[in-house]
Amino acid sequence: MATTLARIARKSLTTSTAFSIKRHFGTEAVAAATASTKSITPSADRVKWDYRGQRKIIPLGQWLPKIAVDAYVAPNVVLAGQVTVYDGASVWNGAVLRGDLNKITVGFCSNVQERCVLHAAWNSPTGLPAETSIERYVTIGAYSLLRSCTIEPECIIGQHSILMEGSLVETHSILEAGSVVPPGRRIPTGELWAGNPAKFVRTLTHEETLEIPKLAVAINDLSKTYFTEFLPYSTVYLEVEKLKNKLGIIV
Amino acid sequence: MGTLGRAIYSVGFWIRETGQALDRLGCRLQGNYYFQEQLSRHRTLMNVFDKAPAVDKDAFVAPSASIIGNVHVGRGSSIWYGCVLRGDVNSISVGSGTNIQDNSLVHVAKSNLSGKVLPTIIGDNVTVGHSAVLHGCTVEDEAFVGAGATLLDGVCVEKNAMVAAGALVRQNTRIPCGEVWGGNPAKFLRKLTEEEKAFISQSSLNYANLAQVHAAENAKGFDGN
Repeated sequence: MATTLARIARKSLTTSTAFSIKRHFGTEAVAAATASTKSITPSADRVKWDYRGQRKIIPLGQWLPKIAVDAYVAPNVVLAGQVTVYDGASVWNGAVLRGDLNKITVGFCSNVQERCVLHAAWNSPTGLPAETSIERYVTIGAYSLLRSCTIEPECIIGQHSILMEGSLVETHSILEAGSVVPPGRRIPTGELWAGNPAKFVRTLTHEETLEIPKLAVAINDLSKTYFTEFLPYSTVYLEVEKLKNKLGIIV
Repeated sequence: MGTLGRAIYSVGFWIRETGQALDRLGCRLQGNYYFQEQLSRHRTLMNVFDKAPAVDKDAFVAPSASIIGNVHVGRGSSIWYGCVLRGDVNSISVGSGTNIQDNSLVHVAKSNLSGKVLPTIIGDNVTVGHSAVLHGCTVEDEAFVGAGATLLDGVCVEKNAMVAAGALVRQNTRIPCGEVWGGNPAKFLRKLTEEEKAFISQSSLNYANLAQVHAAENAKGFDGN
Protein backbone atom coordinates (compact mmCIF):
# COMPACT_ATOMS: atom_id res chain seq x y z
CA MET A 1 0.00 0.00 0.00
CA ALA A 2 2.65 2.44 1.12
CA THR A 3 4.90 1.55 -1.78
CA THR A 4 2.16 2.05 -4.35
CA LEU A 5 1.40 5.42 -2.79
CA ALA A 6 5.04 6.37 -2.98
CA ARG A 7 5.20 5.27 -6.60
CA ILE A 8 2.14 7.29 -7.53
CA ALA A 9 3.51 10.32 -5.73
CA ARG A 10 6.83 10.03 -7.54
CA LYS A 11 5.14 9.61 -10.88
CA SER A 12 2.97 12.66 -10.37
CA LEU A 13 6.01 14.62 -9.26
CA THR A 14 8.01 13.74 -12.35
CA THR A 15 5.19 14.64 -14.69
CA SER A 16 4.69 17.95 -12.93
CA THR A 17 8.40 18.80 -13.14
CA ALA A 18 8.48 18.00 -16.83
CA PHE A 19 5.53 20.30 -17.19
CA SER A 20 7.14 23.10 -15.21
CA ILE A 21 10.38 22.84 -17.21
CA LYS A 22 8.39 23.32 -20.38
CA ARG A 23 6.52 26.24 -18.87
CA HIS A 24 9.74 27.76 -17.59
CA PHE A 25 11.34 27.77 -21.00
CA GLY A 26 8.17 28.82 -22.72
CA THR A 27 7.66 32.00 -20.75
CA GLU A 28 11.17 33.12 -20.05
CA ALA A 29 12.76 34.32 -23.22
CA VAL A 30 16.29 34.50 -21.93
CA ALA A 31 19.39 35.10 -23.96
CA ALA A 32 21.34 32.17 -22.64
CA ALA A 33 18.65 29.53 -22.74
CA THR A 34 19.42 28.54 -26.30
CA ALA A 35 18.19 25.53 -28.20
CA SER A 36 21.06 23.41 -26.83
CA THR A 37 19.95 23.94 -23.24
CA LYS A 38 16.44 22.85 -24.08
CA SER A 39 17.49 19.55 -25.58
CA ILE A 40 18.89 17.89 -22.50
CA THR A 41 19.05 14.14 -22.85
CA PRO A 42 19.45 12.73 -19.36
CA SER A 43 21.63 9.73 -18.75
CA ALA A 44 19.84 6.39 -18.84
CA ASP A 45 21.85 4.84 -16.02
CA ARG A 46 21.63 7.82 -13.75
CA VAL A 47 21.37 5.75 -10.61
CA LYS A 48 24.62 3.98 -11.31
CA TRP A 49 26.24 7.25 -12.30
CA ASP A 50 24.83 8.95 -9.26
CA TYR A 51 26.40 6.70 -6.69
CA ARG A 52 29.91 6.42 -8.06
CA GLY A 53 31.03 7.80 -4.76
CA GLN A 54 33.73 10.30 -4.12
CA ARG A 55 37.31 9.22 -4.41
CA LYS A 56 40.39 10.71 -2.88
CA ILE A 57 42.91 9.53 -5.40
CA ILE A 58 42.02 9.74 -9.05
CA PRO A 59 44.65 8.37 -11.39
CA LEU A 60 44.51 9.82 -14.88
CA GLY A 61 46.05 7.68 -17.56
CA GLN A 62 49.51 6.68 -16.36
CA TRP A 63 49.66 9.36 -13.67
CA LEU A 64 48.97 8.24 -10.16
CA PRO A 65 48.87 10.76 -7.32
CA LYS A 66 51.58 9.99 -4.77
CA ILE A 67 51.23 10.57 -1.06
CA ALA A 68 54.20 10.05 1.26
CA VAL A 69 53.67 7.61 4.10
CA ASP A 70 53.64 10.24 6.82
CA ALA A 71 51.76 12.94 4.95
CA TYR A 72 48.23 13.67 6.05
CA VAL A 73 45.57 14.05 3.38
CA ALA A 74 42.03 14.57 4.65
CA PRO A 75 39.40 12.06 3.46
CA ASN A 76 37.39 14.43 1.27
CA VAL A 77 40.33 15.88 -0.62
CA VAL A 78 40.55 15.22 -4.34
CA LEU A 79 43.97 14.47 -5.76
CA ALA A 80 43.86 13.94 -9.52
CA GLY A 81 46.69 13.19 -11.91
CA GLN A 82 50.30 14.22 -11.34
CA VAL A 83 50.19 15.23 -7.70
CA THR A 84 52.94 14.49 -5.19
CA VAL A 85 52.55 15.14 -1.50
CA TYR A 86 55.91 14.82 0.23
CA ASP A 87 56.77 13.69 3.74
CA GLY A 88 55.30 15.55 6.66
CA ALA A 89 53.03 17.63 4.45
CA SER A 90 49.31 17.97 5.08
CA VAL A 91 46.32 18.67 2.86
CA TRP A 92 43.17 19.63 4.73
CA ASN A 93 39.49 19.01 4.16
CA GLY A 94 37.81 20.02 0.94
CA ALA A 95 40.96 20.88 -0.97
CA VAL A 96 41.25 20.02 -4.65
CA LEU A 97 44.66 19.36 -6.17
CA ARG A 98 44.17 18.78 -9.84
CA GLY A 99 47.34 17.91 -11.73
CA ASP A 100 45.75 16.94 -15.02
CA LEU A 101 47.63 19.35 -17.25
CA ASN A 102 50.85 19.71 -15.32
CA LYS A 103 52.62 18.60 -12.17
CA ILE A 104 51.73 19.67 -8.63
CA THR A 105 54.10 19.12 -5.73
CA VAL A 106 53.56 19.86 -2.07
CA GLY A 107 56.96 19.88 -0.40
CA PHE A 108 58.30 18.65 2.90
CA CYS A 109 56.39 19.90 5.95
CA SER A 110 54.18 22.23 3.88
CA ASN A 111 50.47 22.46 4.41
CA VAL A 112 47.55 23.22 2.16
CA GLN A 113 44.57 24.22 4.25
CA GLU A 114 40.81 23.85 3.91
CA ARG A 115 39.08 24.23 0.56
CA CYS A 116 42.12 25.32 -1.36
CA VAL A 117 42.33 24.73 -5.09
CA LEU A 118 45.68 23.94 -6.68
CA HIS A 119 45.73 23.59 -10.41
CA ALA A 120 48.37 23.74 -13.11
CA ALA A 121 47.93 25.11 -16.61
CA TRP A 122 49.51 23.91 -19.84
CA ASN A 123 51.91 26.81 -20.05
CA SER A 124 52.75 29.91 -18.08
CA PRO A 125 53.27 33.42 -19.48
CA THR A 126 56.67 33.92 -17.84
CA GLY A 127 58.44 30.93 -19.31
CA LEU A 128 58.87 29.38 -15.89
CA PRO A 129 57.75 25.76 -15.75
CA ALA A 130 53.95 25.72 -15.62
CA GLU A 131 53.85 23.22 -12.79
CA THR A 132 52.61 24.26 -9.37
CA SER A 133 55.48 23.72 -7.03
CA ILE A 134 55.26 24.30 -3.32
CA GLU A 135 58.56 23.89 -1.57
CA ARG A 136 59.25 22.98 2.04
CA TYR A 137 57.81 24.77 5.10
CA VAL A 138 55.13 26.65 3.19
CA THR A 139 51.76 27.44 4.74
CA ILE A 140 48.87 27.94 2.31
CA GLY A 141 45.85 29.47 4.06
CA ALA A 142 42.27 28.28 3.70
CA TYR A 143 40.29 29.09 0.52
CA SER A 144 43.41 30.01 -1.41
CA LEU A 145 43.79 29.41 -5.06
CA LEU A 146 47.07 28.60 -6.74
CA ARG A 147 47.41 28.17 -10.44
CA SER A 148 50.76 27.25 -12.01
CA CYS A 149 52.79 29.20 -9.51
CA THR A 150 56.07 28.56 -7.77
CA ILE A 151 56.41 29.03 -4.06
CA GLU A 152 59.92 28.86 -2.69
CA PRO A 153 60.75 27.46 0.76
CA GLU A 154 59.43 29.08 3.94
CA CYS A 155 56.58 31.29 2.81
CA ILE A 156 53.11 32.06 4.11
CA ILE A 157 50.18 32.55 1.76
CA GLY A 158 47.24 34.13 3.59
CA GLN A 159 43.68 32.91 3.51
CA HIS A 160 41.53 33.54 0.45
CA SER A 161 44.46 34.71 -1.65
CA ILE A 162 44.68 34.06 -5.36
CA LEU A 163 47.92 33.38 -7.22
CA MET A 164 47.64 33.39 -10.98
CA GLU A 165 49.71 31.68 -13.68
CA GLY A 166 53.45 32.07 -13.55
CA SER A 167 53.60 33.99 -10.29
CA LEU A 168 56.63 33.39 -8.13
CA VAL A 169 56.82 33.83 -4.39
CA GLU A 170 60.43 33.91 -3.28
CA THR A 171 61.72 32.46 -0.06
CA HIS A 172 60.90 34.05 3.34
CA SER A 173 58.03 36.21 2.10
CA ILE A 174 54.46 36.58 3.30
CA LEU A 175 51.27 37.29 1.37
CA GLU A 176 48.48 38.77 3.47
CA ALA A 177 44.97 37.30 3.51
CA GLY A 178 42.83 38.15 0.49
CA SER A 179 45.63 39.24 -1.80
CA VAL A 180 45.47 38.67 -5.53
CA VAL A 181 48.74 38.11 -7.39
CA PRO A 182 48.37 38.82 -11.13
CA PRO A 183 49.92 36.53 -13.77
CA GLY A 184 53.70 36.59 -13.90
CA ARG A 185 54.23 38.68 -10.74
CA ARG A 186 57.32 38.02 -8.64
CA ILE A 187 57.18 38.58 -4.89
CA PRO A 188 60.81 39.21 -3.89
CA THR A 189 62.43 37.57 -0.92
CA GLY A 190 61.76 38.76 2.63
CA GLU A 191 58.80 41.05 1.83
CA LEU A 192 55.19 41.39 2.92
CA TRP A 193 52.64 41.96 0.16
CA ALA A 194 48.87 42.53 0.37
CA GLY A 195 45.81 43.72 -1.55
CA ASN A 196 43.98 43.21 -4.82
CA PRO A 197 46.16 43.42 -6.91
CA ALA A 198 48.98 42.62 -4.48
CA LYS A 199 51.25 45.52 -3.55
CA PHE A 200 54.41 45.81 -1.50
CA VAL A 201 53.73 46.69 2.16
CA ARG A 202 57.06 46.39 3.97
CA THR A 203 60.10 44.21 4.37
CA LEU A 204 60.00 41.53 7.06
CA THR A 205 62.23 41.61 10.08
CA HIS A 206 64.60 38.76 10.80
CA GLU A 207 62.46 37.59 13.73
CA GLU A 208 59.41 37.33 11.50
CA THR A 209 61.18 35.22 8.90
CA LEU A 210 62.23 32.87 11.67
CA GLU A 211 58.59 32.45 12.65
CA ILE A 212 57.53 31.19 9.20
CA PRO A 213 58.88 27.62 9.41
CA LYS A 214 57.71 27.40 13.02
CA LEU A 215 54.11 27.99 11.91
CA ALA A 216 54.39 25.26 9.29
CA VAL A 217 55.82 22.86 11.85
CA ALA A 218 53.05 23.70 14.34
CA ILE A 219 50.35 22.98 11.76
CA ASN A 220 51.98 19.74 10.79
CA ASP A 221 52.23 18.65 14.40
CA LEU A 222 48.50 19.22 14.51
CA SER A 223 48.07 17.09 11.40
CA LYS A 224 49.84 14.23 13.17
CA THR A 225 47.02 14.09 15.70
CA TYR A 226 44.54 13.82 12.83
CA PHE A 227 46.69 11.23 11.16
CA THR A 228 46.38 8.89 14.14
CA GLU A 229 42.58 8.91 13.71
CA PHE A 230 42.82 6.98 10.47
CA LEU A 231 43.91 3.43 9.93
CA PRO A 232 46.48 2.97 7.19
CA TYR A 233 43.89 1.21 5.07
CA SER A 234 40.30 2.33 4.89
CA THR A 235 37.47 -0.03 5.72
CA VAL A 236 35.10 1.54 3.20
CA TYR A 237 35.34 -1.55 1.01
CA LEU A 238 33.40 -3.40 3.71
CA GLU A 239 30.51 -1.01 3.28
CA VAL A 240 30.67 -1.44 -0.45
CA GLU A 241 30.48 -5.19 -0.10
CA LYS A 242 27.54 -4.81 2.25
CA LEU A 243 25.74 -2.63 -0.29
CA LYS A 244 26.52 -5.08 -3.06
CA ASN A 245 25.02 -7.91 -1.05
CA LYS A 246 21.97 -5.83 -0.21
CA LEU A 247 21.34 -4.93 -3.82
CA GLY A 248 22.01 -8.47 -4.99
CA ILE A 249 25.00 -7.60 -7.15
CA ILE A 250 27.21 -10.63 -7.73
CA VAL A 251 30.89 -9.83 -7.39
CA MET B 1 34.83 -23.63 -6.20
CA GLY B 2 35.78 -26.94 -4.58
CA THR B 3 35.33 -27.97 -0.98
CA LEU B 4 38.89 -26.95 -0.13
CA GLY B 5 38.45 -23.61 -1.82
CA ARG B 6 35.22 -23.06 0.07
CA ALA B 7 36.94 -23.94 3.35
CA ILE B 8 39.81 -21.53 2.68
CA TYR B 9 37.30 -18.89 1.70
CA SER B 10 35.37 -19.28 4.94
CA VAL B 11 38.60 -19.25 6.97
CA GLY B 12 39.42 -16.00 5.24
CA PHE B 13 36.02 -14.77 6.27
CA TRP B 14 36.62 -15.71 9.91
CA ILE B 15 39.95 -13.92 9.91
CA ARG B 16 38.33 -10.81 8.47
CA GLU B 17 35.47 -10.93 10.95
CA THR B 18 37.92 -11.37 13.83
CA GLY B 19 40.00 -8.53 12.51
CA GLN B 20 36.93 -6.33 12.31
CA ALA B 21 35.89 -7.30 15.82
CA LEU B 22 39.37 -6.41 17.04
CA ASP B 23 39.16 -3.17 15.11
CA ARG B 24 35.87 -2.31 16.80
CA LEU B 25 37.31 -3.23 20.18
CA GLY B 26 40.28 -0.97 19.50
CA CYS B 27 37.94 1.83 18.51
CA ARG B 28 35.94 1.42 21.70
CA LEU B 29 39.11 1.51 23.79
CA GLN B 30 40.10 4.75 22.07
CA GLY B 31 36.64 6.11 22.78
CA ASN B 32 35.71 6.81 19.18
CA TYR B 33 32.88 5.34 17.24
CA TYR B 34 33.78 5.87 13.62
CA PHE B 35 33.26 2.20 12.92
CA GLN B 36 29.54 2.90 13.14
CA GLU B 37 29.71 5.33 10.25
CA GLN B 38 28.28 4.49 6.87
CA LEU B 39 29.50 5.38 3.44
CA SER B 40 29.23 9.05 2.61
CA ARG B 41 25.63 10.02 1.88
CA HIS B 42 26.78 12.62 -0.58
CA ARG B 43 24.77 12.70 -3.77
CA THR B 44 25.96 14.29 -6.96
CA LEU B 45 22.47 14.96 -8.18
CA MET B 46 19.83 15.65 -5.60
CA ASN B 47 16.20 16.60 -5.85
CA VAL B 48 14.59 19.16 -3.62
CA PHE B 49 11.07 17.81 -3.33
CA ASP B 50 9.71 18.34 -6.85
CA LYS B 51 12.70 20.19 -8.23
CA ALA B 52 14.91 17.70 -10.02
CA PRO B 53 18.16 18.47 -11.78
CA ALA B 54 18.34 17.73 -15.49
CA VAL B 55 21.85 16.86 -16.57
CA ASP B 56 22.74 15.84 -20.07
CA LYS B 57 24.33 12.44 -20.41
CA ASP B 58 27.39 13.91 -22.10
CA ALA B 59 28.08 16.36 -19.30
CA PHE B 60 30.77 15.65 -16.73
CA VAL B 61 29.81 16.08 -13.11
CA ALA B 62 32.60 15.31 -10.64
CA PRO B 63 31.57 12.87 -7.90
CA SER B 64 32.29 15.36 -5.16
CA ALA B 65 30.25 18.12 -6.80
CA SER B 66 26.64 18.60 -5.83
CA ILE B 67 23.86 19.64 -8.13
CA ILE B 68 20.76 20.31 -6.12
CA GLY B 69 17.23 21.25 -7.20
CA ASN B 70 16.19 23.00 -10.35
CA VAL B 71 19.43 22.91 -12.34
CA HIS B 72 19.83 22.28 -16.05
CA VAL B 73 23.21 21.30 -17.38
CA GLY B 74 23.60 21.16 -21.13
CA ARG B 75 25.57 18.93 -23.43
CA GLY B 76 29.36 18.79 -23.06
CA SER B 77 29.46 20.95 -19.95
CA SER B 78 31.66 20.08 -17.01
CA ILE B 79 31.13 20.65 -13.31
CA TRP B 80 34.40 20.04 -11.47
CA TYR B 81 35.33 18.72 -8.04
CA GLY B 82 33.72 20.28 -5.01
CA CYS B 83 31.35 22.56 -6.93
CA VAL B 84 27.92 23.32 -5.56
CA LEU B 85 25.07 24.31 -7.86
CA ARG B 86 22.11 24.93 -5.64
CA GLY B 87 18.89 25.70 -7.48
CA ASP B 88 16.50 25.46 -4.55
CA VAL B 89 14.55 28.72 -4.58
CA ASN B 90 14.95 29.46 -8.26
CA SER B 91 16.41 27.86 -11.37
CA ILE B 92 19.94 27.56 -12.66
CA SER B 93 20.62 26.82 -16.28
CA VAL B 94 24.05 26.00 -17.61
CA GLY B 95 24.43 25.95 -21.38
CA SER B 96 26.47 23.54 -23.44
CA GLY B 97 30.27 23.35 -23.52
CA THR B 98 30.53 25.40 -20.34
CA ASN B 99 32.93 24.58 -17.55
CA ILE B 100 32.52 25.44 -13.89
CA GLN B 101 35.79 24.74 -12.14
CA ASP B 102 36.67 23.33 -8.76
CA ASN B 103 35.03 24.50 -5.53
CA SER B 104 32.80 27.08 -7.24
CA LEU B 105 29.41 27.98 -5.92
CA VAL B 106 26.41 28.84 -8.05
CA HIS B 107 23.33 29.91 -6.19
CA VAL B 108 20.13 31.80 -6.85
CA ALA B 109 17.96 34.36 -5.13
CA LYS B 110 14.19 34.25 -4.93
CA SER B 111 14.10 37.98 -5.44
CA ASN B 112 16.30 40.93 -4.59
CA LEU B 113 15.36 44.18 -2.81
CA SER B 114 13.66 45.66 -5.85
CA GLY B 115 11.63 42.48 -6.28
CA LYS B 116 13.40 41.25 -9.39
CA VAL B 117 13.35 37.47 -9.83
CA LEU B 118 16.88 36.21 -10.18
CA PRO B 119 17.54 32.81 -11.65
CA THR B 120 21.17 32.15 -12.57
CA ILE B 121 21.72 31.71 -16.26
CA ILE B 122 25.06 30.63 -17.62
CA GLY B 123 25.36 30.51 -21.39
CA ASP B 124 27.29 28.29 -23.78
CA ASN B 125 31.09 27.89 -23.81
CA VAL B 126 31.54 29.90 -20.63
CA THR B 127 34.60 29.37 -18.42
CA VAL B 128 34.05 29.89 -14.73
CA GLY B 129 37.33 29.74 -12.82
CA HIS B 130 38.10 27.96 -9.57
CA SER B 131 36.25 28.90 -6.37
CA ALA B 132 34.15 31.58 -8.01
CA VAL B 133 30.83 32.55 -6.47
CA LEU B 134 27.92 33.29 -8.81
CA HIS B 135 24.80 34.45 -7.06
CA GLY B 136 21.63 35.17 -9.01
CA CYS B 137 23.40 36.50 -12.09
CA THR B 138 23.47 36.08 -15.85
CA VAL B 139 26.59 35.07 -17.71
CA GLU B 140 26.19 35.12 -21.47
CA ASP B 141 27.85 32.92 -24.11
CA GLU B 142 31.65 32.74 -24.28
CA ALA B 143 32.20 34.90 -21.23
CA PHE B 144 35.02 34.30 -18.78
CA VAL B 145 34.74 34.53 -15.01
CA GLY B 146 38.16 34.46 -13.40
CA ALA B 147 39.26 32.41 -10.44
CA GLY B 148 37.93 33.46 -7.07
CA ALA B 149 35.62 36.11 -8.53
CA THR B 150 32.33 36.91 -6.84
CA LEU B 151 29.30 37.95 -8.89
CA LEU B 152 26.46 39.26 -6.78
CA ASP B 153 22.72 39.46 -7.47
CA GLY B 154 21.60 40.86 -10.79
CA VAL B 155 25.03 41.02 -12.37
CA CYS B 156 25.08 40.51 -16.11
CA VAL B 157 28.27 39.50 -17.87
CA GLU B 158 27.71 40.02 -21.56
CA LYS B 159 29.01 37.92 -24.40
CA ASN B 160 32.83 37.78 -24.64
CA ALA B 161 33.28 39.82 -21.47
CA MET B 162 35.80 38.90 -18.82
CA VAL B 163 35.81 39.20 -15.04
CA ALA B 164 39.38 39.20 -13.69
CA ALA B 165 40.49 36.84 -10.95
CA GLY B 166 39.54 37.81 -7.41
CA ALA B 167 37.12 40.51 -8.55
CA LEU B 168 34.01 41.37 -6.60
CA VAL B 169 31.24 42.55 -8.90
CA ARG B 170 28.61 44.53 -7.02
CA GLN B 171 24.85 44.13 -7.38
CA ASN B 172 23.16 44.94 -10.71
CA THR B 173 26.39 45.68 -12.54
CA ARG B 174 26.44 45.11 -16.27
CA ILE B 175 29.77 44.14 -17.77
CA PRO B 176 29.58 45.08 -21.44
CA CYS B 177 30.67 42.94 -24.33
CA GLY B 178 34.43 42.59 -24.83
CA GLU B 179 35.58 44.34 -21.63
CA VAL B 180 37.71 43.24 -18.70
CA TRP B 181 36.61 44.21 -15.20
CA GLY B 182 38.56 43.59 -12.03
CA GLY B 183 39.24 44.67 -8.45
CA ASN B 184 37.04 45.15 -5.42
CA PRO B 185 34.53 46.59 -6.28
CA ALA B 186 35.02 45.64 -9.92
CA LYS B 187 35.89 48.46 -12.30
CA PHE B 188 36.55 48.66 -16.01
CA LEU B 189 40.18 47.78 -16.70
CA ARG B 190 40.57 47.52 -20.48
CA LYS B 191 39.13 46.07 -23.67
CA LEU B 192 39.74 42.46 -24.64
CA THR B 193 41.97 41.83 -27.62
CA GLU B 194 40.94 39.49 -30.43
CA GLU B 195 43.51 36.97 -29.23
CA GLU B 196 41.98 36.85 -25.79
CA LYS B 197 38.52 36.36 -27.23
CA ALA B 198 39.84 33.41 -29.20
CA PHE B 199 41.49 32.13 -26.02
CA ILE B 200 38.17 32.09 -24.16
CA SER B 201 36.47 29.86 -26.69
CA GLN B 202 39.61 27.71 -26.92
CA SER B 203 39.74 27.31 -23.14
CA SER B 204 36.18 26.05 -22.97
CA LEU B 205 37.02 23.56 -25.70
CA ASN B 206 40.14 22.39 -23.86
CA TYR B 207 38.12 21.91 -20.73
CA ALA B 208 35.45 19.92 -22.54
CA ASN B 209 38.16 17.52 -23.71
CA LEU B 210 39.77 17.33 -20.30
CA ALA B 211 36.40 16.61 -18.74
CA GLN B 212 36.02 13.52 -20.88
CA VAL B 213 39.24 12.06 -19.44
CA HIS B 214 38.03 12.72 -15.92
CA ALA B 215 34.56 11.37 -16.68
CA ALA B 216 36.03 8.11 -17.96
CA GLU B 217 38.21 7.76 -14.88
CA ASN B 218 35.44 8.58 -12.43
CA ALA B 219 32.94 6.24 -14.06
CA LYS B 220 35.16 3.35 -12.97
CA GLY B 221 33.94 1.46 -9.96
CA PHE B 222 35.84 0.49 -6.84
CA ASP B 223 37.08 -2.68 -8.51
CA GLY B 224 38.58 -0.68 -11.34
CA ASN B 225 36.35 -1.51 -14.29
